Amino acid sequence: MEKTVKLTIDGKEVQSPEGMNLMDAAELAGIHIPNLCYLKGMKGIGACRLCLIEIEGLKAPMIACNTKVREGMVVNTKTEKVQEIRKFIIDLILSMHPLDCMTCTKAGICNLQKYAYEFDLKESSFTRKKFGYPVDEANPFIKRDPDYCILCGRCVRVCKEQGTNVLEFMGRGIGSKIVTANDKPLQESECTFCGSCVDSCPVNALLEADRWRKGREWEYERINSVCLLCGNGCEITVSTKDGRVQKISSGAPAGSAEKYICAYGRFGFDCIEAETRLTSPMKKIDGELRGTTWEDALKIVADELKKAGKDAGFISAAGILNEDALTLKKLARDVVKTRNFDTTVSLYADSDSLKKSQRADIDRSDLIFLLGLNPSQWERVLPALDAAVRRRINRGAKLVVINSSETRIADVATVSLKGDEISNIKGIIKVAIEKGLKADKKLESSVKDIESTEEIEKASALFIEAKQPIIFSSPALFEAASNLSLLKGKKVIAIPLESNARGVVLMGLTTEGKTYREMLTDKMKALYVVGEVPLNKRPDTDFLIVQNSHLTGLAREADVVLPSATFLESAGTITDFMGRMKYLPEVIEPQGESKSHRDIFILLAKIMGSTIKRPTEAEVKKASNIKVKLSPVPFVKKEGLDISPQEMIESINASVINGSRLLWLKETEKTIAV
Amino acid sequence: MSGDNIKIKICMGPGGIAAGGNDVIEAFKGQLTNQRINASFGEQCSLHQVGCRGLCAKDVLVEIIIDGKETIYENINPEKVPRIVKEHILGDNPVKEWIAGEDYDNFKKKQIKVVLSHCGEIDPEDMNAYIEAGGYKAAHKALTSMSPSEIVETVKTSNLRGRGGAGFPTGLKWELGLRIKSDVKYVICNGDEGDPGAFMDRSVMEGDPHSVIEGMIICAKATESHKGYIYVRAEYPLAVKRLQQAIDQCLQKGYLGKNIFDTGFDFDIRIFQGAGAFVCGEATALMRSIEGKRGMPTPKLWRSAEKGLWEKPTVLNNVETFANIPKIILNGGDWFRNLGTERSGGTKVFSLTGNIKNSGLIEVPLGISLREIIYDIGGGIEGGRSLKAVQTGGPSGGCIPAALLDIEVDYESLAKVGSIMGSGGMVVLDETNCMVNTAKFFLEFTQAESCGKCTPCRIGTKRMLEILERITNGNGKEGDIELLEDLGSHIRATSLCGLGMTAPNPVLSTIRYFRDEYEAHIKDRKCPALVCRNLITYSIIEEECTGCGACKRACPVDSIRGVRKKPHKIDPELCVKCGTCFDVCKFKAILKA
Ligand SMILES: Cc1cc2nc3c(=O)[nH]c(=O)nc-3n(C[C@H](O)[C@H](O)[C@H](O)COP(=O)(O)O)c2cc1C
Ligand code: SF4
Ligand code: SF4
Ligand code: SF4
Repeated sequence: MEKTVKLTIDGKEVQSPEGMNLMDAAELAGIHIPNLCYLKGMKGIGACRLCLIEIEGLKAPMIACNTKVREGMVVNTKTEKVQEIRKFIIDLILSMHPLDCMTCTKAGICNLQKYAYEFDLKESSFTRKKFGYPVDEANPFIKRDPDYCILCGRCVRVCKEQGTNVLEFMGRGIGSKIVTANDKPLQESECTFCGSCVDSCPVNALLEADRWRKGREWEYERINSVCLLCGNGCEITVSTKDGRVQKISSGAPAGSAEKYICAYGRFGFDCIEAETRLTSPMKKIDGELRGTTWEDALKIVADELKKAGKDAGFISAAGILNEDALTLKKLARDVVKTRNFDTTVSLYADSDSLKKSQRADIDRSDLIFLLGLNPSQWERVLPALDAAVRRRINRGAKLVVINSSETRIADVATVSLKGDEISNIKGIIKVAIEKGLKADKKLESSVKDIESTEEIEKASALFIEAKQPIIFSSPALFEAASNLSLLKGKKVIAIPLESNARGVVLMGLTTEGKTYREMLTDKMKALYVVGEVPLNKRPDTDFLIVQNSHLTGLAREADVVLPSATFLESAGTITDFMGRMKYLPEVIEPQGESKSHRDIFILLAKIMGSTIKRPTEAEVKKASNIKVKLSPVPFVKKEGLDISPQEMIESINASVINGSRLLWLKETEKTIAV
Repeated sequence: MSGDNIKIKICMGPGGIAAGGNDVIEAFKGQLTNQRINASFGEQCSLHQVGCRGLCAKDVLVEIIIDGKETIYENINPEKVPRIVKEHILGDNPVKEWIAGEDYDNFKKKQIKVVLSHCGEIDPEDMNAYIEAGGYKAAHKALTSMSPSEIVETVKTSNLRGRGGAGFPTGLKWELGLRIKSDVKYVICNGDEGDPGAFMDRSVMEGDPHSVIEGMIICAKATESHKGYIYVRAEYPLAVKRLQQAIDQCLQKGYLGKNIFDTGFDFDIRIFQGAGAFVCGEATALMRSIEGKRGMPTPKLWRSAEKGLWEKPTVLNNVETFANIPKIILNGGDWFRNLGTERSGGTKVFSLTGNIKNSGLIEVPLGISLREIIYDIGGGIEGGRSLKAVQTGGPSGGCIPAALLDIEVDYESLAKVGSIMGSGGMVVLDETNCMVNTAKFFLEFTQAESCGKCTPCRIGTKRMLEILERITNGNGKEGDIELLEDLGSHIRATSLCGLGMTAPNPVLSTIRYFRDEYEAHIKDRKCPALVCRNLITYSIIEEECTGCGACKRACPVDSIRGVRKKPHKIDPELCVKCGTCFDVCKFKAILKA
């Protein structure tokens, strides 16, 4: 249990965890202390001076964001003195502000507007000035308008903490400004367009580029969901209006730096309405795909599947929902009666590693191991993992990177071990045992021949000291990772590339017959492809069914195309890489005639004369609830799991990228690279 | 040649260099070789460049010591050197008319030199000179025969307070530094000295670098620290050079590095060159700057003694603070304490500038009155004009009116009258200074140097500045004074760091003592000191005007009319108030009002 202290805030008795700052403690008690620069989860910097409060016994007001609770403290957050100060501060800020509230896109969620209203300020009482700085809007993602900036520094701090470090203060005095290196436009900086700064900006200085006249903030419906575009499965908040997605932001409440999403998650939603979006079923007539009805299309598919029977094959992406996976398995095994059903997971992970992975909370860890992993925000490979690790480091955790190839994240590691991963892990284990960690005899003898180095000793020492280490590993190296974790009984997790990889495995969607790769080469009688898979050419098969939201290269070569809903258009759950079950509501209705994967499977079964029941939450939970105990295993690096993560993630998101403004990014990056 | 031991000391402090000290040295070298005296290495005659002697108004100062007999020359330039060499050195007959006079004696009389005792006496590049003058005895004593807490006690007894501005008791700071345990601790010397025109710390770093290092060694021992930094602004290349030289000399001699004086104590010092922003002198901003971040102050949740540089316990003191330490250790805390007042021990260095006769660097015991400083040491106001105010504490200080000249100079009494001690700037203002304009001048500086982090300082000082601008431009409004007071008190109360908290001082203190001048600007549209251009009018006094036409020809905008030999007239609509006519009129017929 955390220790708590008792204090009084505005006459209210409050209990709060020891070490908490007054801002959070007051918020817990339902008391809001005005602020513009505070970012929940980060150290207060005391820049805006709005959060000055009075503490009995102290003469000068103190800043709530950087003053810790103490037993018996008596705090007053709304004395005449501090209210006057706050009004003064807002008054000053307004004197440098455009005051465009009537048309400003941020209106409604702008903190400055809120406080101006609260402190009864229509106008500044000082002469108003504007710089007329140029707007940075040459990219389709983020618009920076420095004239609105109140220099709260939130953007600078989020960007720094997640490790992108693009923004910085420049200049002195009234001419201070937030800039990129050399004051270049964003696309000429190291910016990844994740938009974290946009989420953190309390005013209209940073905004999604396309928001002008796309609805006022109060017209939006805000729905929490999950991004399924990569293995991170980030929490998002989707704002909709008139049944359309208007913006996506990180799942954290505004004014908090706790959650990250990348440019895919934030801006990929354009693809919902892309030209390639499928809105009705299609079938191939004379070598050309033509629109048709569901009835017709499903009839054809049902016939083909029946014909193929046990020689039918199903391959699916792992970005589908748990419910879809359960239904798909039933369709394949119980209705079509084939044992050939596999997912893209088999390209990069074995099901064991995902099943044996544990649950953990990275935000509590004090030591992180990255084993054989190369997350990168810049290459958009598991960017959220990269950001989370960097944030943890900036909050005091240590990092050990073990990778035989170069990684960018090794730059921020306390120890970076190059060379063969298995030997390095063995070395760490050996040293840890020598230093007194208990281990199974078998494990001990399997590491005894390894020579340790100074760096290995360092890594081992960190591991011994750590209270909450987490070991993240590539699935191929999971065995070695789990052996290490056994020494302390701590968390070990294999990181997949797709959002619901762990979920589809838990739901049992792992083949009992041919594997994914075998189905591509073994000339199936009918091949049924669900979701976006890294496949552009028709494999050799008698009949190809593609069920996807977009007309991909593969779909163009299909015999029947079934239009499916995107993850924003269908409800269900996933199990993310940390083992957390996450819920996705149906944020908007499916476009045109498209349907959720599961609905299509159920309809198909029906035509084939069977009934599949909609999977219930209990069913999903039951399937997820497996108990695995780790035990020492031989150290091997698994073969055949070596698809390039970057290629994999790009190809499973090809429709998203090509159907959205992300295409600009890809092309711009190309021209810059040239 | 007369004596067999001749020393020539040439003042090469900032003032000396500016006045051409290098040329004077060269001239001496040339002369001495001409006269066939071996200049630099001769057993009998040696040439020394020494640090600042203080009286910069009379630079270059040259001292000649023959067999212990000292003679000081003032205002020396290369042309004067041959005669000095010929008559004084070779002829044993000092050049009377160039010998420093009464001013120099008065200037020295009321000063007590502790920090500056070596400046101007020893060659700062020569470690042996420092050692001969008693240097490193204190460090040796502290390391070999004192415990950390004994050192702390001595410093506490001395009543030494931080010379960087805030006046925090140094002994207490060190005590805290000692109490907090950590494997890594830092000692930092703050040599940023960003106040415009200030050169106290610079003079010490350039003129007596070893005293700073010795102070730091003692501090390291007292707080059990093994790593030190000296933060020097990059604009002080000579200070950097001399300090580095001194550090290298110490390393060679074993006074720094491992196992100092064979006591097993290790201490290293590194120099960090700052980029020269004023705010980087603020302790937390300075530490961020060393860490490689932007120099921006951070709120002090922890005192630096607990979490400072890289979150490790850190003791940070000013250059002058450190330079006092060796003397305190050698002469005892009580000795130092008794030099000053009850609340602040010792002496303080000031740079005396502005409209004063003997401008320069002075060191006086705390508790001396402003009057003594200005009239006895400074020789009073230039040109017989009357004193109006003394501005102390640098750009964030305040103006003290002539009426308060008898206050004692120490931290509390200066604060009481609305100013601060600051790092020791002292600007003398007379009747030709406009107080509104003076306040504006200082605020311009602080606004431009605000780090921009916190709202009141970044925007508030700008708003104040705008109001001052309109007042001095003749567009002041009723209520502006109150608005300034209001803004000033809010900024003072709400800013994050000392810069913002003190930025309104010049404005608030001038309003407090010279409100009538503000009112004259606003209500009468007049600048009583005739400084604010837009508030001055030029007219021609008919009776005095001879009609010579000089002003007419000189006026750049053709605003003067008149025929020869008849009184001329200025068209006020056209006049741009450049003052050219005033300057060219030989008959004092132009009235500036
Ligand atoms: C804006 C600002 C500028 C400062 N500049 C200096 C400086 O140039 N030199 C200095 O020693 N202290 C400066 N200080 C004071 C330091 O923050 C700190 O108090 C001091 O260096 C501590 O040393 P001391 O106790 O020996 O005085 C400055 C403070 C502020 C707020
Ligand atoms: S751009 Fe926004 S978040 Fe960044 S400093 Fe300005 S107001 Fe703050
Ligand atoms: S990191 Fe992955 S899951 Fe997170 S927002 Fe980006 S694409 Fe989506
Ligand atoms: S008071 Fe001024 S200099 Fe100090 S932190 Fe605030 S803005 Fe920066």
